[in-house]
Amino acid sequence: MSSSYNTNDSLLPRIIVCLDVDKGRVVKGTNFKQLRDMGDPVELAVAYEQQGADELVFLDISASNENRPTALKLVTDIAKHISIPFTVGGGLKKLDDVKAFLDAGADKVALNTTAVLTPEIINQTAVAYGSQCVVVAIDVNAEQEQHRFYINGGRKLVESNFFDWTKEVAERGAGEILLTAMHKDGTGSGFDTKLTAQISQQVPVQVIASGGAKNEQHFVDAFNHGADACLAAGMFHSGEYSVQQVKQYMLKNGIATRL
Amino acid sequence: MSGTDLNAKQILIVDTKAGNLFSLKAAIERLGFAVTILDRPNQGQFDGVVIPGQGRFGTVMKNLSQNGWPEYLKQVYQQSIPMLGICVGMQIFFESSQEDPEARGLGWFKGKVEKLDFPKKPMVGWATLTSQIWPEAIVYFVNSYALQSSDISIASTTYGETFCAAVSSGSFVGMQFHPEKSGRVGIELISQVLDGNLGDQTNE
Repeated sequence: MSSSYNTNDSLLPRIIVCLDVDKGRVVKGTNFKQLRDMGDPVELAVAYEQQGADELVFLDISASNENRPTALKLVTDIAKHISIPFTVGGGLKKLDDVKAFLDAGADKVALNTTAVLTPEIINQTAVAYGSQCVVVAIDVNAEQEQHRFYINGGRKLVESNFFDWTKEVAERGAGEILLTAMHKDGTGSGFDTKLTAQISQQVPVQVIASGGAKNEQHFVDAFNHGADACLAAGMFHSGEYSVQQVKQYMLKNGIATRL
Repeated sequence: MSGTDLNAKQILIVDTKAGNLFSLKAAIERLGFAVTILDRPNQGQFDGVVIPGQGRFGTVMKNLSQNGWPEYLKQVYQQSIPMLGICVGMQIFFESSQEDPEARGLGWFKGKVEKLDFPKKPMVGWATLTSQIWPEAIVYFVNSYALQSSDISIASTTYGETFCAAVSSGSFVGMQFHPEKSGRVGIELISQVLDGNLGDQTNE
């Protein structure tokens, strides 16, 4: 069995739409200076649910401490308006932060920098809320025949073995790994299907492929290689593709999906 | 949000103190029902009762027992008022669970909840049901534990192994999946149960 996508199973591969939130608005930007306002998070969330998105991820919604009450209210608002699962991530530093966002209505939290700096938070969250609430996000970069991973939004190299880290987070109680291939991000050349497949086979939790998606074929490729889920942002936000279109294409290519 | 509709059916959500109830409450309200959340029973009359799906088996059982819910739920069942148990809120109606072996379930129905041999744990995601009443329905599962089978089963699904996805007996319906997270299909299933349109399916 080279692929973890088993057609005998009733579990379906997922398409996850990622929304970056800044000061209560969904934003889009290719670099940190040019943020473009994309709209209201609740309205966009509802629209993506209607398009057939299986889950949503809101990043940086929680980043700024000053706006904590506003961010929590926004999370509760989203929970009240959609009936698909959603994850929040970015800037969660302590177990108290994690608790606040889960209690506000988020289904899961995504931990990245914090997971590396204080790995016990993975265990603590899993014990308090269950592994299903813990997504560990890993930003990996392919560099000269080796894979290295970064924190602080891709700016700071972590001096540990990437593959060991994927195993460690699963052992500590992560329910899923969100694997963002930095070397693919923004290239439009498709997901790193090979790396996704490798991690998906090596760790006993689901792996979400992220980075590089530009068209519907990229999703088909990733799922055929064993991705449990695929995450994308730009190609959906730009209106180039709807989630529904990608899913229709998956069906045509023999990949079962929820319409 | 619309104002209070006095003619709306009154639905009670049992607060098992094991997680937030925003999504569940909102999903039920979206159907036009009025929702009350209580952490212990009162004298009010309700048209439907929902036991939510968050927390561990042992903790949920403890909180229910300490607050007088088992007797209350029995009365609700005897009066044939629609009841919906979600995930662990369904599991506690059975005998026990490997999640907390020392805890005892309500034991209304035969069966033990087991840690299943899923390919990836926990099971997270959308799966297709095998069911006569909900053929091909796709719903969202989040679980490590489930009943492998039940004599009151009305739906099953497969992830590594086949297990029981929903049960029904009298006015009680249990769902191993999370209908409040299952999009429009899930909302429709909640509506069927709370409207009492899903009577006893076990004698078909």
